[in-house]
Amino acid sequence: MTRACFVVLVALVPGTVGAAQGTGATKLAGRVPSQAIPAIDSLIAVAVAESLPTEPLVQKALEGSAKGIPTDRLVTGVRRTLGQLREARVLVARALPQQPPPEGHVAAVAAALARGLPAPIAERMLTMAPADAPEPALHAAADLVAHRFNPDSAADLLVEAHAMGLRGVRLLDVATAADQELQRQGGRTPSDALARVRAMLPNVPAPKVAAKP
Amino acid sequence: MNDRLDEAIELLKTPPAVSVEARVMAEVRRMSLPAPKRRVVTWPRVAMLALAAGLAAILLVPRPPRPLPGDPGQGVAQFVGHFPGARSVEVVGSFNNWSRGILHLRDDDHDGIWHAVAMLPAGQHEYMFVVDGERWVTDPLAGRFVDDGFGAGRENSVLIVRPAVQP
Repeated sequence: MTRACFVVLVALVPGTVGAAQGTGATKLAGRVPSQAIPAIDSLIAVAVAESLPTEPLVQKALEGSAKGIPTDRLVTGVRRTLGQLREARVLVARALPQQPPPEGHVAAVAAALARGLPAPIAERMLTMAPADAPEPALHAAADLVAHRFNPDSAADLLVEAHAMGLRGVRLLDVATAADQELQRQGGRTPSDALARVRAMLPNVPAPKVAAKP
Repeated sequence: MNDRLDEAIELLKTPPAVSVEARVMAEVRRMSLPAPKRRVVTWPRVAMLALAAGLAAILLVPRPPRPLPGDPGQGVAQFVGHFPGARSVEVVGSFNNWSRGILHLRDDDHDGIWHAVAMLPAGQHEYMFVVDGERWVTDPLAGRFVDDGFGAGRENSVLIVRPAVQP
């Protein structure tokens, strides 16, 4: 029986160790140039060792391959994504020190930083609602920053909206409302637009359902 | 006659001094067959078996994919692009593992406005249009963009799909 147990363990244990890498390798096989796979696999192994999410790396490799990016630039792109995940993990660990950084939070923060959200604003969004999924708040903040609102003022507005009970995708409505105020005829300044949205909180309009074209 | 019959009945009622069963068992013992080896179950073996069974249960029992935080379901995504004269337009992105040939836009009235509607997982997705099977184009109507990170200054469009059923 001992021998049988040993055989089972030998068969199963390497499977668990390689599972995270295997997921990426399975998705990459046949999709990514074979000469790029060893380098990408090693980057995925690094991510596994550092408890970083691997799916963004796999997606970046698939994206680069689909676009026909040369191998060296493809690997560079994946390596850059790994760097963003590391940066995001540090930020999440600092913002939420009571818990190990959840992979979903790390991926969401990395995506927001890639969109140009300043790190301190991302950190504020995390600490604003530590128990919530961070994606909507991060995207709302990134939307406002992308539309040239002052990052700190934008974060203030979102924190206020959250305090007034707006959660999840409703925070995206706050960003949309601010952008619409900015684009109204008459030329509002960004600070005017934020002030008007602040005045209508928590009753920002929900998005209209688009008709089929 | 009756006395003899009663005597025979009494004799039948009396159990034999040595039963047939006892004699058979004695014969078996006399043959000195080797006793079956007793299997000793020791604690290390039990622990090994439990560990193997646990690992097998963890690895072999299929588990549903873990939803991302804030990603409780699916939502409707709508893609529209103005590509006059194009022969084909498709959307390729993180929602379909950047695979070609899955989500095509249509221009049934040939006015150059291509569109598609799809149910996608709620959350953030990056994508691009592929026009005529070779030209990668950023969706200018997306409103959200991110550098694709491959060093050529090309941007992916960013799509945030809201869950159809709000959590």
